[in-house]
Amino acid sequence: MLSGSQWKYLARESVAGFRRRTLTTGVTILIMSSSLMVLAVLTMTTLNLGNLLDTARQGIDMRVFLMDNLPAQQLAELQPRLLRIPGVADVQFISRDMALDEFRQSLGDDASLLALLDANPLPASYRLELTRGSRTLQAVHGIRDEIAGWEEVSDILYNQEWIDVLERWTYRFQMASLVVGLVVFLAAIFVISNTVKLTIASSSAVIRVQKLVGATNTFIRTPFICEGMMQGLLAGTLAMGLLATAMHVMKDELTGLIVFTPAQMAGFVGLCVVLGLIGSWAAMGKYLGLRSEG
Amino acid sequence: MPHNSTSSPDRPERDGQGPLEERVIISLNHVNLSYPDQVALKDVNFQVANGEFLCLTGPSGAGKSSILRLISMDAFPTRGQVRVRGMLASSMNRRRIPQLRREIGFVFQDFRLLEDRSVYDNVAFAQLVIGVPGRQIAENVTRVLNKVGLWEKRHRKPCQLSGGEQQRVAVARAMVNSPKILLADEPTGNLDPVTAQEIIDLLFRFNDMGTCVIFSTHDHGIVKTFGRRVIVLENGAIVSDKLRDDQVDRTARLDDGMYRAESAGPRPQQVEVPSHA
Repeated sequence: MLSGSQWKYLARESVAGFRRRTLTTGVTILIMSSSLMVLAVLTMTTLNLGNLLDTARQGIDMRVFLMDNLPAQQLAELQPRLLRIPGVADVQFISRDMALDEFRQSLGDDASLLALLDANPLPASYRLELTRGSRTLQAVHGIRDEIAGWEEVSDILYNQEWIDVLERWTYRFQMASLVVGLVVFLAAIFVISNTVKLTIASSSAVIRVQKLVGATNTFIRTPFICEGMMQGLLAGTLAMGLLATAMHVMKDELTGLIVFTPAQMAGFVGLCVVLGLIGSWAAMGKYLGLRSEG
Repeated sequence: MPHNSTSSPDRPERDGQGPLEERVIISLNHVNLSYPDQVALKDVNFQVANGEFLCLTGPSGAGKSSILRLISMDAFPTRGQVRVRGMLASSMNRRRIPQLRREIGFVFQDFRLLEDRSVYDNVAFAQLVIGVPGRQIAENVTRVLNKVGLWEKRHRKPCQLSGGEQQRVAVARAMVNSPKILLADEPTGNLDPVTAQEIIDLLFRFNDMGTCVIFSTHDHGIVKTFGRRVIVLENGAIVSDKLRDDQVDRTARLDDGMYRAESAGPRPQQVEVPSHA
């Protein structure tokens, strides 16, 4: 248990590093906050891409086109068969006439062109609504493969290409974000660790005396740990402050996008404090030479 | 031949009348110490009783500092046993080393003061880091600075003091926690004869108050002024462990010409030290 005078001393020493090396500490905090900004923006972009992919998946529209002139009995049997396929939530029959109506509506002013046709060229179809868990490329392919062999089916269509592309790029971006995030994470630890090492180096005389007179290693370490955590706190706060300002300025452009909530920002600052803790702890073992003693 | 006697005519009677075993505070038993590139100590045996004043002497590299490092558990024996205040180095939990060091004071040739702090803060620092309450720190620092005669200079920085005064600050810092043992590693090495004598007198006074003092020096001139136990080391081994008899001229002083250097200054000002705390 620390005495009151020890607490005062530790508090004083924790900020002493800032006072002694204002420039170094300032630069450290700037570098860290820039890195953390990058990390935050990457995180938000990844979240938004994920959200976009989810929205796109909601819109996956699978159409099963049928052969012409199928008997009514066969048509009626198809519906329960389709519903039995895992991943299919609901089916809707679209007759040839309904398909033509849809087409006419989609043509808008050019619908008069349809009058040139002798007959309705559109086939009847089933529109498949998929369960939430089946709106992935892999599940859609599974359903397609199962239906493709049926004799009643002439073709299967879904908005495959752009979902494929979106999914592929989202995955790539997430992987890249993960790598960049990891690099930024390690870089932040490295920067804090080096700054704390400077403090330790300049405090070697004090540390030597502390060890001589019987200070515990916890007592010796505490100011350096606190310094690292404060650097993390300041860098995180600066990064989130800049991000919040940028979000406020660009709020119209960001409408509909996922942005950090105040609670998430506070969590991010907390993460930065942990980074500071890890960075300063990493500096300890090697430079304090305290490994053998408690 | 190593000599393991710990009886001393100079030992204060108040340290107890019991058997020697009960009064042993430091014990080195067949201790060997090797560094990666050299053998520092070879089969070293001796015991030190509570309140004793022991002088370790020998040429540079003889192993004096290694013994002090073993006692402070800054190093551990390659073979043999080191026991300090009942704590065996080989089986001691490393986390207890800070506790042990609170019972040991250190004085070094190079003073090792904190240059950016005042005399007062240097001494108070030793109390602060071990959690002594603020008011108690003030009392203890005042007491010890008065003992070493530096109360009037308590606001000065080390660079504003002479070498002797800096060493007195170091002694004050070492003694402010009332340690049972004081390890002085060549404490007079950087001092002129007059100042060296002041420091030796100071250490004797703390010893008279019951602190066990282990004083290392390579200077035989200093040893001649001691009417105490002297261990001579050479090449890491004890070659002599003797009590200097009472015929030693205790009035002889380094500044009377027993020291190699010429004494140029005036007689050192005697520091007023209360007989007992």
